[in-house]
Amino acid sequence: MRRLPVYLLLDTSGSMTGEPIEAVKNGVQMMMHSLRQNPQAIETAFVSIITFDSEAKQIVPLTDLASFQMVDIKASGVTSLGAALALLADKLETEVTMTTLEQKGDWKPLIFVMTDGIPTDNWQQGYSKLKAVNKGLIVGCAAGQGADDAILRQITNSVVRLDSADSESISKFFQWVTASISTTSTKVEESGKEVTGLDQLPPPPSELVIVA
Amino acid sequence: MKTITIKSIIDPSRTYKYIDDGSPKQGGVKDVYFAPNRKYVVAFFRTALDFNQRDRIKRIVTLYLDNIKNGSSGDYFLQEIYRWPYDAVEQDDKTGVIVPIYDSKFFFVKGYRANAMIKGGEKVGKWFTAPSFRNQQYPLALDKSELGDWLSYFQIAINICRGIKKMHQMGLAHSDLSYNNVLIDPVTKSANIIDLDGLVVPGLYPPEVIGTADFIAPEVLKTKHLKHNDPDRVLPNQKTDLHALAVLIYMYLLRRHPLRGGKIWDLDAEKDELMAMGEKALFVEHPTDRMNAVKTDQLRKWETFWGNPNKLSYTKTGPYLTHLFKRAFIDGLHAPMLRPIANEWETALLKTVDLIQPCSNPQCEEKWYVFDNSTKPICPFCGTAHKGSLPVIDLYFKFKDTVWKPEGHRLMVYHNQYLFKWHVSRKVIRNESLTTEDKKPVGYFTFHQNKWMLVNQNLQGMKDLTEQNDIPPNSMVELTNGKKILLSNEEGGRLLYITITNQ
Repeated sequence: MRRLPVYLLLDTSGSMTGEPIEAVKNGVQMMMHSLRQNPQAIETAFVSIITFDSEAKQIVPLTDLASFQMVDIKASGVTSLGAALALLADKLETEVTMTTLEQKGDWKPLIFVMTDGIPTDNWQQGYSKLKAVNKGLIVGCAAGQGADDAILRQITNSVVRLDSADSESISKFFQWVTASISTTSTKVEESGKEVTGLDQLPPPPSELVIVA
Repeated sequence: MKTITIKSIIDPSRTYKYIDDGSPKQGGVKDVYFAPNRKYVVAFFRTALDFNQRDRIKRIVTLYLDNIKNGSSGDYFLQEIYRWPYDAVEQDDKTGVIVPIYDSKFFFVKGYRANAMIKGGEKVGKWFTAPSFRNQQYPLALDKSELGDWLSYFQIAINICRGIKKMHQMGLAHSDLSYNNVLIDPVTKSANIIDLDGLVVPGLYPPEVIGTADFIAPEVLKTKHLKHNDPDRVLPNQKTDLHALAVLIYMYLLRRHPLRGGKIWDLDAEKDELMAMGEKALFVEHPTDRMNAVKTDQLRKWETFWGNPNKLSYTKTGPYLTHLFKRAFIDGLHAPMLRPIANEWETALLKTVDLIQPCSNPQCEEKWYVFDNSTKPICPFCGTAHKGSLPVIDLYFKFKDTVWKPEGHRLMVYHNQYLFKWHVSRKVIRNESLTTEDKKPVGYFTFHQNKWMLVNQNLQGMKDLTEQNDIPPNSMVELTNGKKILLSNEEGGRLLYITITNQ
C-alpha cells in the first residue's frame, strides 16, 4: 500500500527556548493524538521529525502513526536551515519508496518547515540539494516577528506566517498541520489524487497568515 | 452557546431546535449541530446549494421518505438500515437537513485495546475493513470486545444489501457507497447507511461526486476525463453502486481490496491508481490471469494473514458468494450489466449463513466458518479441524406428487442450531418482511447422548419418511445418514435429506 510520507522540519535554535519549544513539543503530541483517531490517516501517513539548531538531526525517522514515539527536544544554538534541507534531501532519497515496475512506491511527500529566525548557514546549498530530489509539497511557516518569510518564499510558494511564536499560535499551527495531514491522507485514499498546493489543504486558522 | 429554533421549509408549522456552541461537528460537506433533546441533528451544507440540489433534498425528505414509510417494512428500513433525513430547513442561505441521531451502538465503547483515545468515536466501516486494527500485536489494535466474529459481518453485509436493494427499487442510486458512509456495529451485528442526502435520481439530478477511490466502478474512472455531458461519460448509477456493494462485501469478509494487487501500471502514482481501479482493473484472485496477484512479500507485517489470498482465498466464503464474487470481479468488472444485484447478494449471504459452522477452538477469533463440502473441515482462520460427526441437511421441494427436487440450499447442523419457518416452507421467504411470528424458531438441533437429534417445537405434519413415523410437536427424531424427514405436508412444505460427515 502506498504511504503518505510527512516530514516536519522544526527550528530548535536558542531563540525557541521556553514557551515556544514547549509549545512545539506539545503540538507534536496533540497532532499524534488526533491523527490516531483517523483510520485513514493511520493506514496511510508516516511521519518523520528533523530538528535544526547548530546542526540538523533526524530525531524520528519516517515512522507509521502506530509506532511513532516523540523524543525530547531542547532549544539551543543557531539556525542551520541549510543543513536541515540537505538532511531532508538525504532522507527523501533513502526513506521514500519510488515506484518501480515491481513495487508500488509512496505518494509524494508533504513537508512542513517551521522556523522562528534567519538561517545562519548557507541555506541555498541545502536547498539546491533538496530541489534536485524533492517532488512533494513544501509548506513554510515563519513563526514570530524574527522569522524571515522572504527566505522561505524562495524555498516554496506555500508560506504561512504566525504573528507571534507564543504557545497559542504554535498550537494553532500544529492543529492546521494535523488537519492538512488528515485531509491529504483521506484525499489520497479517497480519490487517488495528490496534494500539490496550499489551496488544497484546509483553510488555516486566523492566527496563520498566508504570505505566498 | 445558544439554542436556535428553526422552521421546516416543507411545512412551516414544524420547528426544530439546535445548540450552537460555535464549533459544530464538521463532516465532509456539512456542519452538524445537535438538538437539545439529542433526538436529531441539524446538518447544514457549508456552501449554498443551487436550485437542483435543494429540490433533490426536498424530494428525499418528502417523496422518497414517504415511499419508504408506506412501503413494506417501513419502520425496519428507517430504524435498522438508514439514517434517512426527514425534514429540511434553511438559515442565512444555508440549507440543512434534519437527521435522526445515530444509535449509541455505533460509537466505540472501548475503542483501542490499549487506551481510551477513540472511545465514543463513530464506528465507521474503515476501522473494520483494515486488517491491522484487528491484529492484537498492532499498537493501535481495536479491543477484541469491539470486533465481533465472522458471522457479525454477514449480518452487516445483509443490512447493507437490503438498504441498496430498497434504494434501487425506488429508482434511486446511492452514488457514493463506501466504508465511510456506513456505520457498523459488529457487536450487535448492525449497519446503518448514513449521509443519504447525496442520492442520485437518475435522469433528474446528476451525481456531484464520482465516489470514493476504493469503490468507484472501473467505467466511471475510465471515462472521468470526458466532459459531464459527453455521451460516453459514465457517471455513478445503480450499476456502479453494485460494484461498490461487491467491493464492500468482499472487504468486510476478507479485509483486503479485491483489485489492489501487485501489478504496476505506471511509474506515476496517480496514473497508476487511475488505471488499477479503472480501465486495467483486474481481480487479484483471478483464477487464470495472475498478472495482478498480490505480492505477498510486499505486505505489511500486520496484514500478512488477511492480505494474503493464498492463506485465505475468497472461495472460503462458500459456494454461493464465490459465484457472485466471480460475477462481480471477473465477468462483470468491465461489464456492468453482469454484476449481481443487491437482492442476489442478500440471498447468497443468507444461504451462506446456513452453511456456517462453529469452530471447535474456543479461542478462535472468528468463531465461525463456512462448511467447505469436505469430509474433514478445517477452520481457515485458526487451522483447527472440526471435532466429531457433522450432519449436513439438504432441502428438497415437492416438484410433482412423488418427485422431490433439491432447492440448492443446505443447512449445517450444530448443537443448538435452530430450524425456522423459512426452512420449512417455500412460502416463507427470509427477508426484512418476516413477521415476528415467522422469526421464531420452530425446532432445534441438539447433540444428545452422542446422537444428533432434531426437536420439533411446533410443526404440524412433520414425519420421518425413512421410518414412516410421525414426529408430533415436542418430540424428537434422530438424524442418521440418508434419513428423509418431511417438515410439513402443506403446500410448499419441504423435505430434509440428512448426510452425516466427519464420522
